[in-house]
Amino acid sequence: MLSVRNLTFGYGTERPVFAGVDLDIAPRSITVLIGPSGTGKTTLLRCLALLEKPQTGLIQLDDQAYAYPWPADRTFVPPWPHLTAVFQQLFLWPHLTLRENVLLPVRLKGTAHADEELDELVQAFDLGSFIDRYPNEASLGQRQRVALARALMLKPRYILLDEITSALDVEQVANILAYLKELRSRDIGIFLITHLLSFARHAADQVLFMADGSIVERGTSEILRAPQTERLGAFLSVIAAAS
Amino acid sequence: MTVERTVRVLLSSLVCSLPSANSRDRRLSVWTILLTYHVAFLEGLKVTLALCAITWGVGLVSGIGLGTLGAHAPVTWGRFSRGAAFVFSSIPALVILFWLHYPAQAAFELVINPFYTAALALTLINTFAVGEMVREAVSDFPRQYITAGQVCGMRGRDIVRYVQLPILFRQLLPGLMVQQVAMLHASLFASLISVEEIFRVAQRINSTIYRPVEIYTALALFFLVVCLPINLFAAYLKKRYTRDTSER
Repeated sequence: MLSVRNLTFGYGTERPVFAGVDLDIAPRSITVLIGPSGTGKTTLLRCLALLEKPQTGLIQLDDQAYAYPWPADRTFVPPWPHLTAVFQQLFLWPHLTLRENVLLPVRLKGTAHADEELDELVQAFDLGSFIDRYPNEASLGQRQRVALARALMLKPRYILLDEITSALDVEQVANILAYLKELRSRDIGIFLITHLLSFARHAADQVLFMADGSIVERGTSEILRAPQTERLGAFLSVIAAAS
Repeated sequence: MTVERTVRVLLSSLVCSLPSANSRDRRLSVWTILLTYHVAFLEGLKVTLALCAITWGVGLVSGIGLGTLGAHAPVTWGRFSRGAAFVFSSIPALVILFWLHYPAQAAFELVINPFYTAALALTLINTFAVGEMVREAVSDFPRQYITAGQVCGMRGRDIVRYVQLPILFRQLLPGLMVQQVAMLHASLFASLISVEEIFRVAQRINSTIYRPVEIYTALALFFLVVCLPINLFAAYLKKRYTRDTSER
C-alpha cells in the first residue's frame, strides 16, 4: 500500500501548495485524481514519487516509511523503480532513440529478455512504426506511449501517471486505458491525474477531487454522478458545459 | 591596397617570386622558403605543438574539473570560476604573458624557462575558459532528464554516465573545439617572451631575408596543416555524437 498522511508541501514561507493530504493507493487498484489546473495535482504526484520533500507528513510505501520533515542525518532509501512515474512533459532522453530510451534502464538493471518484453509493449501500444526514431522525430502522442512503455518495462508495483493521454486520439486513449485496467489485474497500484472523466467513471476504484490545495472530495466513481460538495459540483458543471 | 590586389599578391606569392629590393632573394616563393627553411619551421612547429599539447591537455582536464566543482558548489568554486574566467578573458593573453614573465618572476626572484611561463599563462587562460563553459552547461543541465533516470531506478553514476555526460558532451563539443583553436592562435604570443615557437622562427627568417608576405603565408600553411586534423576530428565527433534535437 502507498499511504500518505497529513502531507503538506509549500515553497518557503508562502502559503502551502497543498496541506493535510491523506490518501491510500492499494495494489490492484486505480486511483484517479481530478481537479482544476493549478491546484497542486502535479506537485502532489511529485511528492508521492518522493521527488520533492514535503514540509510535514508521512509517506508509507509498503514497509518503508518516509516521515517529514526529513532528518538531516537520515539516509534516503530510493523507492524507484518499485514506485515509478510518467510525467506530463515525458522527459525522454533526446540523445537516445525511443527504443534505447525504453531499454536503457532495464538493461542497467540486468533484466533478462528485455527485448522480448519490449516487443510485447510495442505490439500493445502500436509503437512499431516509430520505435527507432529519436524523441524529436516522434509526435507527442507517440512519445507519451513510449514514456509509458519505459515505465512499464521496469515492472513497478506502483505507477504514478500525470496526464499521459493528453495528446492521444480517442482510439489510442481507449487502448492505453484498457492496458491500464489490465495492469491493475497484474497487482499494480495506479495513480492517474487526468481530465478524462469518462475513464474515471468506468475504471477508477477511487476518485479524488483536489481544489484549493486540499482533497475536497473522495469516493468511488459515484461521486462524479452525485457530487457531495458544491466545489466538485461546480467543477463538473464547468466540464459538462465545455464538452 | 585593394582586396583584389591583396589576393593577387597572396596567390602569386604561393607560386612565384615577387619583386624584391634584394636581388639575391628575387626567386623566393613560399615553396622555396618552405623548402629552404623547413628544418627551422619544423623545429618551431614542434615547440608550438608542445605548447599546445600542455595548454590543451592540462587546460581541458583542469577546466572540466573546475567547471564541475563550480556547478556543484556555486557559492565558492562557482564564484571563483566565474570571476577568474572574467578576468582571464578580459585581459589580453599578451599582458598575462608579460606579467608572468617579468614582474611575477622578479617579485619572486625566479627565473623560469619562457616555454614554461608561456605554457602556464596559456593553460590558465584555457582552464578558466573551459571551466566556465563546463560550469554553465552543468548548472543549466535540464533537471528533468535526471529525474527521468531516478524514477527509472537508475543509480546516480549510471545517470551521469549514460544521460548527463553524453548530453553535455554533445552540447559542449563545438565550443570546446573553437576554444582550443583559439589557444593554438594565442600560442603565437609566446614568441614575444622569446619562446622559439613557429611564429618566432618565421620572424627570425623574415629578419634575414625580408619576405614577410611569403613567410607569413608559409606560416599560415603550417597552421592550416595543424588545424585540418582538428577540424576533421571535430567534424567526425559532430557527425558521430551530435544531431539536431529540436522538436518537429
